[in-house]
Amino acid sequence: MKATIEVSGLRKRYGPTVAVDDLSFTVAPGRVTGFVGPNGAGKSTTMRMILGLDRPDAGTALIGGRPYRRLRSPLREVGAMLDAGAVHPGRRARAHLRWMAHSNALPVRRVDEVLDIVGLSGAVAGRPAGGYSLGMRQRLGIAAALLGDPPVLMFDEPVNGLDPEGITWIRGLLRSLAAEGRAVLVSSHLMSELEGSADHLVVVGRGRVIADRGVRELLSAASGDRVLVRTGHRQEAMTVLARAGAVVATTGCDALTVSGVPAERIVALLTGDGVPFSGITEHRATLEEAFMELTRDAVDYRSSRTEAGEGA
Amino acid sequence: MRHVLHGEWTKLRTLPSTGWLLLALAVSTVLVGAATTGAVDTSHCPAPAGCLEDTTRLSLTGVRLGQAAAVVFAVLAIGGEYGTGMIQITLAAVPHRPRVLLAKAAVVAAGVLAAGTLGVLGSLAAGRALLPGNGFTAANGYPPPSLADGPTLRAAAGTVLYLVLVALLALGVGAVLRDTAASVTVVLTLLYVFPVITRFVTDPDWHERLDRIAPMTAGLAIQTTIRGAGPPIGPWTGLGVLAAYAAAALLAGGCVLAARDAN
Repeated sequence: MKATIEVSGLRKRYGPTVAVDDLSFTVAPGRVTGFVGPNGAGKSTTMRMILGLDRPDAGTALIGGRPYRRLRSPLREVGAMLDAGAVHPGRRARAHLRWMAHSNALPVRRVDEVLDIVGLSGAVAGRPAGGYSLGMRQRLGIAAALLGDPPVLMFDEPVNGLDPEGITWIRGLLRSLAAEGRAVLVSSHLMSELEGSADHLVVVGRGRVIADRGVRELLSAASGDRVLVRTGHRQEAMTVLARAGAVVATTGCDALTVSGVPAERIVALLTGDGVPFSGITEHRATLEEAFMELTRDAVDYRSSRTEAGEGA
Repeated sequence: MRHVLHGEWTKLRTLPSTGWLLLALAVSTVLVGAATTGAVDTSHCPAPAGCLEDTTRLSLTGVRLGQAAAVVFAVLAIGGEYGTGMIQITLAAVPHRPRVLLAKAAVVAAGVLAAGTLGVLGSLAAGRALLPGNGFTAANGYPPPSLADGPTLRAAAGTVLYLVLVALLALGVGAVLRDTAASVTVVLTLLYVFPVITRFVTDPDWHERLDRIAPMTAGLAIQTTIRGAGPPIGPWTGLGVLAAYAAAALLAGGCVLAARDAN
């Protein structure tokens, strides 16, 4: 089986609300794909349709080329954590994993293995899940997803409710799962949560894909190859750089923002002409900035107040 | 299917409520049976032999209360999953939804079968101990209820089956309504209120018709061991009526489960 999730033309409507509107994207193996958008953008609905929990009105969602409902032993092929609270409060964590293992004929030793991976082993695993904190439930949900050692993994807002240590832990876990060649889809409503863990991003708003690009690509596009130059000799520097074809703008009494020419070349040009400068910094956009850039033109994504203000 | 069953069995076994409800089923059946049996004696009849009391049926009265535990137990098996949201994990683990309901039906039936058997055997034992003291002696024409006696064996086994069918009816209703409180209310109303309404129907023909289609009244016809007592329907036909209710509820539950989104 090829470890992929392929979503094409997916559409889902709940009454008058269109939750997912003609959504298409692919989650490739070996990388972490971030699934980003504000609350209500259709992320969870999409994941539910991938898992065969909700029936799409149109379109298909395939796991390794097959619809979820046709998978023989689904926990061996897809691991998912949708809602960490979805455990019976009276059942012990270990028993929760054990029934899941039995239902898919998984070896019972996997239960203790995954409890170890998520740090819930020992006496904690013998306690009823009802007494767990949100962070512990997240860990139990992640353990359940890993139970069948599946090549495809999906996590819906896994960072929610975790403490800083837990957040660092889950980032490392996501990276290592992808490094093992698995396809990993992680949703979040905060772009910054995915910084440093996602390789690829699918950005959605109002049930549609706004962007589907690599993180590096996205960042460099948002950064716009801008370079910040600090110099007391603004006039000379501008002349030299403009001659070389750069677009130069003054951004302060001793600062210039240069684009169109890479930083190394700027250093060479200024040194060559003997123009003194005190610093050269490449401007690096954050994912949050990239996100703003992306959504700037996506009118249907803005808040209704902005729309009203613009008469959109 | 074997694995799905194994999963559902583990799920049922690992809930604290399972043990308590099955215990409640057995104990309440025995206690109510014993209390009722102990409260009836031959002194209210002109002659002991003329009482025409169905002592087996009398001893098994407790299932009328015990069935409530079976209803709650069966409804929780599915309603509890909707209540906690765990249904999505169940259906992700086993996407073949009719299989999930069948497996639940099998493990719920097994649990009720075990507890029901204990309750019925306990009730008969209590009856044997209490009846002679109240004048229901062999000399007066009331041999102690014994499983070696055909009609008593039928009544005993049939009562266990009755409990199993009530549980399956409750499971089906739970799958349709997806809510524990609503499902328990609907099933208990169907069982207990139906006979009460029938009581207010004065027309004898209609009274009889209603008795034949009321799930509890018809189903418990299986307990009748002497001619002329009990509801106007044959023992197995009566249990068949209840089985039809259970089958219809499970079928409806299966359709709803298969057709609707899992939440």
